[in-house]
Amino acid sequence: MEPVLWFGWFRADIIAEYSELFWRGLWMTIGVTIVCILQGSLLGLLVGMARLAEARHPPARQLCRFLIRWPATVYVSFFRGTPLFVQILLMHFAVLPLLINPVDGWLIAGDTAREIKQDYGALVSGVLALTLNAGAYISEIFRAGIQSIDRGQTEAARSLGLSYRQAMYHVVLPQAFRRMLPPLGNNAIALLKDSSLVSAVGLAELAYAARTVAGAYSRYWEPYLTIAFMYWTLTLALAYMVRRLEHRYGRGDTR
Amino acid sequence: MINLTRAALLATLGFMVAAGPSAAQTRALVVGSSATYPPFAYETPAKEIAGFDVDIIKAIAQKTGLTLKIVNTPFTGVFASLNNGDLDLIISGVTINDRRRQSYDFTAPYFEARQLIAVHRNSTVKGLQDLTGKKIGVVTGSTGDDVASRAFGKTSANIRRFDTTPLVIAELAGYGVDAAIGDNGVIAYRVAEQKDLKTVDDLTFPKEYFGIVVKQGNAALRKTLNTGLAAIQADGSYATIYRKWFKTEPPVLPKQ
Amino acid sequence: MDAAIHVEALSKRFGALEVLRGIDCAVAESEVVCVIGPSGSGKSTLLRCLNGLEEATSGRVLVHGVPVHDRATDLDAVRTEIGMVFQRFNLFPHKTVLQNITLAPAALRNLAPAEARARAEALLHKVGVFDKRDAYPNQLSGGQQQRVAIARALAMQPRIMLFDEPTSSLDPEMVDEVLTVMQALADEGMTMVVVTHEMGFARRVADRVLFMDDGRIVEEGPPEELFEHPSAERTQRFLAKVLRA
Repeated sequence: MEPVLWFGWFRADIIAEYSELFWRGLWMTIGVTIVCILQGSLLGLLVGMARLAEARHPPARQLCRFLIRWPATVYVSFFRGTPLFVQILLMHFAVLPLLINPVDGWLIAGDTAREIKQDYGALVSGVLALTLNAGAYISEIFRAGIQSIDRGQTEAARSLGLSYRQAMYHVVLPQAFRRMLPPLGNNAIALLKDSSLVSAVGLAELAYAARTVAGAYSRYWEPYLTIAFMYWTLTLALAYMVRRLEHRYGRGDTR
Repeated sequence: MINLTRAALLATLGFMVAAGPSAAQTRALVVGSSATYPPFAYETPAKEIAGFDVDIIKAIAQKTGLTLKIVNTPFTGVFASLNNGDLDLIISGVTINDRRRQSYDFTAPYFEARQLIAVHRNSTVKGLQDLTGKKIGVVTGSTGDDVASRAFGKTSANIRRFDTTPLVIAELAGYGVDAAIGDNGVIAYRVAEQKDLKTVDDLTFPKEYFGIVVKQGNAALRKTLNTGLAAIQADGSYATIYRKWFKTEPPVLPKQ
Repeated sequence: MDAAIHVEALSKRFGALEVLRGIDCAVAESEVVCVIGPSGSGKSTLLRCLNGLEEATSGRVLVHGVPVHDRATDLDAVRTEIGMVFQRFNLFPHKTVLQNITLAPAALRNLAPAEARARAEALLHKVGVFDKRDAYPNQLSGGQQQRVAIARALAMQPRIMLFDEPTSSLDPEMVDEVLTVMQALADEGMTMVVVTHEMGFARRVADRVLFMDDGRIVEEGPPEELFEHPSAERTQRFLAKVLRA
């Protein structure tokens, strides 16, 4: 391709050459981010509530502590305490080959395994690692959010005869959610950027496109500046959506 | 007496001038090498960087009176470091090609390389053409990447790019890709470690050459390195090093 | 066992602190009982034991014959028979006044939305806050909020109402509007247990007054007797302090 220079030095042509990769990468990044935010939030909600689970009478009391609270705590500690990069590599090169393997996969084997591994292997590992990671951080947000709701709210709800689940669903969680929107929004933005790490296991998203171009031309400004702007645009869009949500659900709160 | 002292002084001065560049060369040259690429450059258990590339550059340094400091640099950042001055030269199994020549300068070749395909033991792949439609693993930006991109399209979804050869081989072993393409030296070395894999030699793959990279325009260093390279080839030390790592006689390398 | 509420040897301790030391008392159907006493006497704790918000360390609480703290008891079901009004109102800030009141009946009694709404509006008329039905709690005054809280508790059509210092958080000018509602309830024959500092209310409305101190019921009796002729010395001292105004 004929070099196309912007500002006298930026070779826009090498980006254009790989534009298909960038385009596909953009959608992959958006897709992975959305899926992992949703899954991570759901997981975070469950784990956050698990960390607060309590039973009044034994044996449920002990069962609760060891089978619910304790595993939840360990999970959160591990996924917040180890680098995401390490988690992604572990998931892709250690855990997934155990589970999905044409020869001796624990979960899936045979030809299905080969197909899955080839077409979706990096995607599965990436999404799994990101979801588990996000879930741990989000569970802390939920836990803190739930605990920040005045005890009187739960007491009033339970006094009316509402069950624990009903009190959570109608009274506590809606209020907690409002409080949690800002930190949840931050987490979503962090996840968007963290998704770039999955390029290391070959998932064709934005960072992967940049690496490819950089690898082919040994030029770094063009590809990395390009994706920097693309990530920036995405995070701005995400931040805007979070602000809209905060605005919409902020009505009626005592704060 | 005075004459003797003067003579001695003059002789010393003369000696220093003659030894000129070497004596004046006080700064060690920083050499970048990605030490995850055995047998060319890798880290020993004693945390030293060893390999074919290392031996070659050390031999050249000895011949030309350079002092070196070898720094382990990840391959994806090595060119940027060269450009911003953190590195003076790169010897890291870098293939000489036109695209790179646009932005960097190479010495004469110091190694002849071919691409090699790695597959599972029971694969029926005989050459590059058999890989159509299959998933191929390569190291980002490597010659293997180039070969695969030329054959199947640089934005093909079937090409999976990873940071290092061990990762590519791991992906192959885990059935994430059907085949891997990489430099013969490294691929052969890695496949030997895995019971389940084998190599396939496609003779249609062109021969390529590794060169030492210097910053574009650094003619002085380039000349020094070329001198050293020619010297070690002339006196047989190149052949010795080659035999040590590859157990065969070295081919004759083109002068550029 | 005609009593609506029956308390037997109820004791409660928080760690090393003994808050209730063997309480025995009963509340009859349609009776209005006021509990008075200095702070720290355990009045609120006693009230909260009645609907299971607090666990009993020992002893029993029976509501219409059902043991509240028993493991086998469906506590949620029992609580639908008991309404509670809190000192800090505890209205749900993210719901309108109307929604606050219809929430429990809709979820628990399977009332159709129209029915739940009708019941809620009737109650709002009764407590005098109908015009604020679509407002949010933070737009109401304290007195209005507490009256909504009463309506919310009444929406479940409980047979017993518990009040935990219902006017203690209110500005003086709003205390009366709440007490008026409570009196109306009493006149209708609701069984009520009220922890309060409003001696005037106790005197006017209560059938029986309990004086608590240091985790025990020191004295109890009809208001005329307790207020005019307290027998225990502690009662006298307490009344002297609070009735000075």
